[in-house]
Amino acid sequence: MKVSLNWVKKYVDLPETLTPAQIAYDMTLRTVEVEGTEDTGAKFHDIVVGKVLEVKEHPNADALRICIVDVGLDEPKQIVCGGKNLYAGEKVVVCKPGSEVFWHGLPELVKIKETKMRGEPSYGMICNATEVFLDKLFPPQDDHIIVDLGDLPGEPGQNIADALGLNDTVIEIDNKSLTNRPDLWGHYGIARELAGIYGVPLKPLPEFKADPSLPAFDVTIERPDKCRRFTATEIVNVYDKEAPLWMKVALMNCGQRPISAIVDITNYVMMDVGQPSHAYDRTHVEGDKIIVRTAKKDEKLLLLDHNTIDLTEEDLVICDANDAMNLAGIRGGAKDSILPETTSIILEIANFTAQTVRHTGARFNEKTDASIRYEKNLDTQRVDQGLAVCLQLFREIFPECRVTAFADVYPVKTEQEHIDVTQEFLDVRLGKVLSRETIEKVLTGIGYEVEFDNGTYHVTVPVWRSTGDVSIKDDVMGDIARLLSFESFEEQPLTVKFENSVIQRQETLERRLREYLAYRCGFNEIFTYPWVDEKFIRAAKIDTDKCVRLATPPSEELAILRSSLIPGALESVAKNLRYFDYFRIFEVAQVFEKGEYHESSEDEVLPVHRKLLTGSITGKDPAKIFYELKGVLEQMAAYCHMENFSMEQKEQPAWADRNAWLNLTLDNRVIGSMGLVCVSTMNDVKIKRTNVALFELNVDSLKAFASRTNEFRHLPLYPLVEKDLSVTVDKAVTWKAISDAIGSRVKELEFIEEYHGNQVPEGKKSVTMRVWIGNDDSTMTSEQIDQKMESILKTLHKRCGAELRTE
Amino acid sequence: MKEKLNEIREKGLARIAGTQSIEELIDVRRELTGQKSELNEVLRSLGRIDPEQRKEIGILSTQVKDLFAEKLNEKEEELIAAKSVLDEPIDLTLPGTAVEGGSLHPITQMCYDLNDAFLSLGFEVYSEDDISSEKYAFDNLNFAPDHPARQSMDTFWLDGTEELRGSDRLCLRPHLTGGSVRYLLKHGAPARFVYPGRVYRNETTDARHERAFFQYEALIVDKDISFSSGKVMIQTILEKVFGRKINVRMREGFFPFTEPGYEIDMECLVCGGKGCRVCNHNGWIEVMPGGVIHPNVLRAANLDPEEWTGFYINIGLDRLVMMRYGVDDVRLFHSADLRFLKQFR
Repeated sequence: MKVSLNWVKKYVDLPETLTPAQIAYDMTLRTVEVEGTEDTGAKFHDIVVGKVLEVKEHPNADALRICIVDVGLDEPKQIVCGGKNLYAGEKVVVCKPGSEVFWHGLPELVKIKETKMRGEPSYGMICNATEVFLDKLFPPQDDHIIVDLGDLPGEPGQNIADALGLNDTVIEIDNKSLTNRPDLWGHYGIARELAGIYGVPLKPLPEFKADPSLPAFDVTIERPDKCRRFTATEIVNVYDKEAPLWMKVALMNCGQRPISAIVDITNYVMMDVGQPSHAYDRTHVEGDKIIVRTAKKDEKLLLLDHNTIDLTEEDLVICDANDAMNLAGIRGGAKDSILPETTSIILEIANFTAQTVRHTGARFNEKTDASIRYEKNLDTQRVDQGLAVCLQLFREIFPECRVTAFADVYPVKTEQEHIDVTQEFLDVRLGKVLSRETIEKVLTGIGYEVEFDNGTYHVTVPVWRSTGDVSIKDDVMGDIARLLSFESFEEQPLTVKFENSVIQRQETLERRLREYLAYRCGFNEIFTYPWVDEKFIRAAKIDTDKCVRLATPPSEELAILRSSLIPGALESVAKNLRYFDYFRIFEVAQVFEKGEYHESSEDEVLPVHRKLLTGSITGKDPAKIFYELKGVLEQMAAYCHMENFSMEQKEQPAWADRNAWLNLTLDNRVIGSMGLVCVSTMNDVKIKRTNVALFELNVDSLKAFASRTNEFRHLPLYPLVEKDLSVTVDKAVTWKAISDAIGSRVKELEFIEEYHGNQVPEGKKSVTMRVWIGNDDSTMTSEQIDQKMESILKTLHKRCGAELRTE
Repeated sequence: MKEKLNEIREKGLARIAGTQSIEELIDVRRELTGQKSELNEVLRSLGRIDPEQRKEIGILSTQVKDLFAEKLNEKEEELIAAKSVLDEPIDLTLPGTAVEGGSLHPITQMCYDLNDAFLSLGFEVYSEDDISSEKYAFDNLNFAPDHPARQSMDTFWLDGTEELRGSDRLCLRPHLTGGSVRYLLKHGAPARFVYPGRVYRNETTDARHERAFFQYEALIVDKDISFSSGKVMIQTILEKVFGRKINVRMREGFFPFTEPGYEIDMECLVCGGKGCRVCNHNGWIEVMPGGVIHPNVLRAANLDPEEWTGFYINIGLDRLVMMRYGVDDVRLFHSADLRFLKQFR
């Protein structure tokens, strides 16, 4: 919202020393967020009033004229101009050298210089409205019509902004910061707030008094739940004319385009006191009556912009005896519009509830200056302010006009709130003891009435804040804090009682898991969206029937919320393949599945949430990345201080290669899986010429240890003997079979490597391992060593069919 | 005999001086001082020498022997000092071998930094689930029944529930604040906890707007505390993130779940508060909203607002990380692009 400081100053005398920047700062800290201030006169530098003394033909151009113009200098100046409406004696707008204007539709401002045009010297430029930012004041017809100032004030050479009164400071307020303050949607409200901030008096508005001798106009409100008050004022002897310059300038500075005096008055009132109003051509109101009702079934309304809308039975419309004329509080219909031939009007100043205006506005995607005000919930008493200002303006601008009928139907009145606030409450919550005088001054400064009695302030909230804005003592406390500025309250230390330390095992475990993968295992953490492209979900062969969906997804293919992190992992792998041929990534996030789960209360039924961890290694050699990933999982429990899971085959994950997968199990329950991604999944997501080893596990199922559980083992008293052993076995013999066979016979057993190839017979493989053997009570003799190794080999032969490999 | 010894000495010293390697020095030592050395021959022949000369020759030979030992040791030290483990010099300007490490997401890093700071103040870390009902996301938090944020153009409602109300209408949570009531219902008051997490808004994305983004919220609930104690939490966050005290200001703000509510601005770090493009020329950057918990929210958490009060601080983690590193496109955070993520060690 744009606020004109000149306008505000009609209602409050601000201290002379205040700069616009200071006002903006104080308002931002205490009331609303100011986005910026603009000196509206600045852009008119070197643009002055000129008087055309003579208009001559241009010798070298038919479309140009040579003008001799008085621009307030010692001598008149020659200016070449293409304007069609030039005549001697015309008062025009002249851009002197150095001024900056919009030139023939160029986006940037152009600086004017003295020049020659078709051989004739030209001092400056005589301008059309668009060129000099005056298009709102002088609606442009075409480029060749220059601004004719007519009998507007201004002497030759006078700066145009000074002449027309365009100098103002406009404060731009962020509308979002005004949503809770219906009272601030007009200049009077802003003036009131500034009066409160600076402790200066606020000037009163004119008062409205209905003339009891006036005939009543027939108004019926059928839905007082949607329309709390409706006034209709019949005014005759008005006609089509322009609003006075001061009003047009005020509207222009606030971003409004002046239209005609009648329409401009209604806009001005809205921007003055925040009360929307509407003028109907009297002759269009058929049957001499107005009915405020909800629309009938299948009723239509032709809007001012000639769009027809299909009304619903929830929409409030203002109707005459025959049909709907406008959409209440939002937009006028074509039927009721003010026309050049209008000579009498019905002026509507009414109060509609926020909800009805918001719902109807949303239904038809309509937002107007009126509707955004009603949506904030206006008090019904503001109708009086609107009427008073409006009628005063009509009398001023149309001295010959007369009010001939009036109606004020007022079924629901905004009641002022009464709140008791104790001194003690304020002392504690503000963290500072304020004097009674300070509190009363602050509150009465913005319209509260305050009585103090026995430690309690009995506060009457001004009606313009009794709209839901201020209803509890905390609101009153907030008003005191903000008006004195939050900054004026010194920082208070936080005093807390320490009863026990913060122990959160699962929280700590999750952090360890992430840090283990990132810092020990070289994984990069990624984040993906909870909605996943169906293509990746299908590729991972996930059953989408169990998935939760969004009602209004970001796009059609992103409707499904993830029930697994694998589709997202596949998508991320596919994306990164362009730049990397080997990489490790992981993600921790929640996934969702249809089901019943109560997080906080029985009435709330949520889908099932699971927190999963997925990790993957992408690389060319499938066996290599499989064992790398297996290694990461094998070490995980030890590094992350949790109960270890086992790896065994229980149920094959749908995405996994048939030869390379394992389940992660804890207490015989499957809590995750790992494996190589199968060929069909990779084909579906276009992962080519590489392989992916993947795991996914349920973090919620992991059991964090209360403390570190590593145990100390004595160092061997007698040296161990280290021996490498290579044997050939059938290909089907697993490492597990070998280690089961001899694991208990040695102090330690380590796998070194496995070899398949032409060095070993068909159907066989070679396995190399390292064993450590030793006695507990003595150093082993070489005979003992030989005996032990022989016995180990014998066992291996017997249990696994192993033969010692000879080179 | 004297001449002979002089000759031995001179020849020997020259031999030591000319030695090139430790291996050669071993040979030289044997040659000059070993059993078969000329010097040893002289020493062995001492018995046969004229007794008058014997003493003098004896002293002389011992001097030569000691001199050889000294020079040999000197030479040995010199040769060891000149040795290198390398066969030949290497290019010291070649890059070192890369450390292959992974990384936590920059937002996780920020989150953990803040967790550490708040844990040190005795706060708990709490997380609410990603899906919530309208009751917890809006009703409990004092949002008006027709508040615009409840519309589907703002919030991601779940399919099949979008026309329902209250605890039956489910959404991806639009903010973290709903979690505050969940925590308070479970643990009661007094309480002090932080609850970081991802939130979701149905909006058009660009370099500054995302549909999924991260917030970090902190709440204290206690008796008899003033809103100005909230400033401690603000300072904690900013000092942790930027490593020094940052000038802040607290100004009027409005949120349904606070009364009073405030906005916290920090001094623009780019221009130092003078005004620049980054701060829209006003020297301040809006970083976090906060405020005193609204009595209606306390009531939703079964707490008596006459007895309890407290305050929130909420901070947008994406924005903070963007400021910390100068990241200019918020969409990178969910891009899973390793060219981006690998930069944050």
